[in-house]
Amino acid sequence: MTMRTILKLIASTAALHLAASGPVLAQDEPITIGVQAPTTGSEATYGKDMLNAIGLAADEINAKGGLLGGRQITLVSGDTACDPQQSVNAASRLASQEVVGVVGGYCSGATQPTLKIYGDANIPFVIVAANSTQLIPANPGNAFMINSTGADQAKTAVDFFAGKGIDKLAIVNQGDAYSQDLANLTRDAWKAAGHEVSAFEYVNKGEQDFSALVNKIRGSGAQAVFWTAYYADGGLLIRQLRQRGFQGTIAVGDGSNSPKLFDIAGRAAEGVYAFSNPTADFLPAAKQFISDYQAKFDTAPGPYAPLAYDGMQLMAWAIDKAGSTDADAIIKALGSADGKEWLAGPISFTPQHTLARSNFVVLEGQDGKWTRYQP
Amino acid sequence: MANPTPVAPEGRPRGNLAQRLYAAFDSPGRRRALHLVLLAILIVTPWLSSQYVTVILTNALLYVVLCLGLNVVVGYAGLLDLGYAAFFAVGAYTIGILTQQFGFNFWAAIPFALLAAALAGVIIGGPTLRLRSDYLAIVTLGFGEIVRFTARNLEITGGASGLSHIPEPSLFGWYIDSSIDFYYVFAALAVLAYIASQRLFDSRLGRAWLYVRHDEDAAEAMGINRVAVKLAAYVIGAIFGAVGGIFFSVNLGAISPESFSFQQSVLILMAVVLGGMGKIPGVILGAFIVVLGPELLREFDTLRLLIFAVLLLLIMLFRPSGIWPEKRS
Repeated sequence: MTMRTILKLIASTAALHLAASGPVLAQDEPITIGVQAPTTGSEATYGKDMLNAIGLAADEINAKGGLLGGRQITLVSGDTACDPQQSVNAASRLASQEVVGVVGGYCSGATQPTLKIYGDANIPFVIVAANSTQLIPANPGNAFMINSTGADQAKTAVDFFAGKGIDKLAIVNQGDAYSQDLANLTRDAWKAAGHEVSAFEYVNKGEQDFSALVNKIRGSGAQAVFWTAYYADGGLLIRQLRQRGFQGTIAVGDGSNSPKLFDIAGRAAEGVYAFSNPTADFLPAAKQFISDYQAKFDTAPGPYAPLAYDGMQLMAWAIDKAGSTDADAIIKALGSADGKEWLAGPISFTPQHTLARSNFVVLEGQDGKWTRYQP
Repeated sequence: MANPTPVAPEGRPRGNLAQRLYAAFDSPGRRRALHLVLLAILIVTPWLSSQYVTVILTNALLYVVLCLGLNVVVGYAGLLDLGYAAFFAVGAYTIGILTQQFGFNFWAAIPFALLAAALAGVIIGGPTLRLRSDYLAIVTLGFGEIVRFTARNLEITGGASGLSHIPEPSLFGWYIDSSIDFYYVFAALAVLAYIASQRLFDSRLGRAWLYVRHDEDAAEAMGINRVAVKLAAYVIGAIFGAVGGIFFSVNLGAISPESFSFQQSVLILMAVVLGGMGKIPGVILGAFIVVLGPELLREFDTLRLLIFAVLLLLIMLFRPSGIWPEKRS
């Protein structure tokens, strides 16, 4: 190899790095906010929904004159594909693009390893959807969870099943951090309330045939089934439970309360209950949001859209309150969130940076859509 | 290769440029120069690039180690392994459990992790010695899933949430914790894996694998101990995988069963096949493509995996035996 070739090689590598290192922020330049969401993979529907809602919020803020006296918000998205390793890549990329803050976080398992990255880079992070209790000890102090945690949902679930007069409950999860966490919390709370967990099962992601599981559940004498994982597989399970004559109550966790559940489960989803974070349809303050979202994206906002929208608005509020893009000031401002009313209700934080109230509601499937359940 | 074979005129037709490139790498003198250049690039890169580039390259170097390990099993010995992530998992979990729950020092835990991986290699190697091709693939696939399911269900492995807060290793008071530190750790591992692969390829064992791969019965008739040779491939492959897993676990600080799924095994196998089975530079190239491809396509957001898949298909259409295939076969 000649010297010239070697030099050329080095030069081209250097050029590659320069191209990859991104722009430097100046005072009049836009404020970059990272969006961490799974825009590919099995949870892409939710990820896209979050990205849309955050985009809508950013557009509204920009239309009103931006932040800190006229600086516009630009968004960069980091696709996590709901996979821990890809999340780390996405988070490192956002961190090296010098984002002022990050909004997002859908899959808890994939969000957990990113906390350290944002912590080390000292970037404020508003976690809008991920709500596993595992995230709480992993939080270095810069992250804020605006969704109620799994413990809150477990409590809502236990109250609901007990209110239905159920004693024997079957709990099915998908073995990932989020659904197993919720399943464990519900099991413990259900036993603590003096009831019986007749079956505690898990299925693999992407499984198609649940006949063995259905037989086991029926054999266990369960009066109700609680599916704690996501809608894509939950829909199939519900369908097969009903096809094989399961008559009891079926309830699903907040990973399954998408309207798409009705596409997959069909008529079997009628009368299925879902625990839900405050989705747009059930929020009186969200009427304008729904119509704006519908007009812009030609589809109804999904279950995490209001929280994602709130997350962006909260971040913007905190930046304005901090009066600068200084990370410490923004983190301090977020911590002092004072219970102001947002789309999905008031936000203030516990000392662990989790939402200071439970925001879960119970929904019921009726005529192919979710309605608020009134006991 | 010890004695470079001249490009045979009756060999597979190749493009002029590719031919010259491959030839450049196969002549010993030029290869030394190329090694030095690559080593220099490897050393200076993190100082010239952003943290993101460093993290991605660290990931790519991890895959280089894993792919070179699988290459020993698949490329050298010709044993199709669809559960390679299991060895990766054994290394990672052994370190996680020993350091976190038994208070071992990271460095003291490494021999145990390697031992556990070697044992896993014997466990998978033993029953599969009589199997060939499709059947072997099915058993290894099963083995991979068994390891993952075990990790998911045991209390000690932390169930589906896995283990978190794995302590960072320190070396003489220096804590390995920044992304640049880990970059150099993985760079060193990749270089070691490269040298080991090269030595294995040239060794007596490497020749034995070649014969076993081409014709097991003939090889046995020639006096090669088929059982020992195949087991050696599994154990050596397992140790490569475990080394990757050991440092993967401390790099991420948290491991969960999802990181060791079937998809992971397929990704590693894909890198090996894509680059060129049995050919070390090909395998390294494959590892880089598999990791960097989806990252470079991040601009396309939701379309990136589709575009990546199409690119992979095109590569396999135009270079069916890999980008940089082995000549000897």
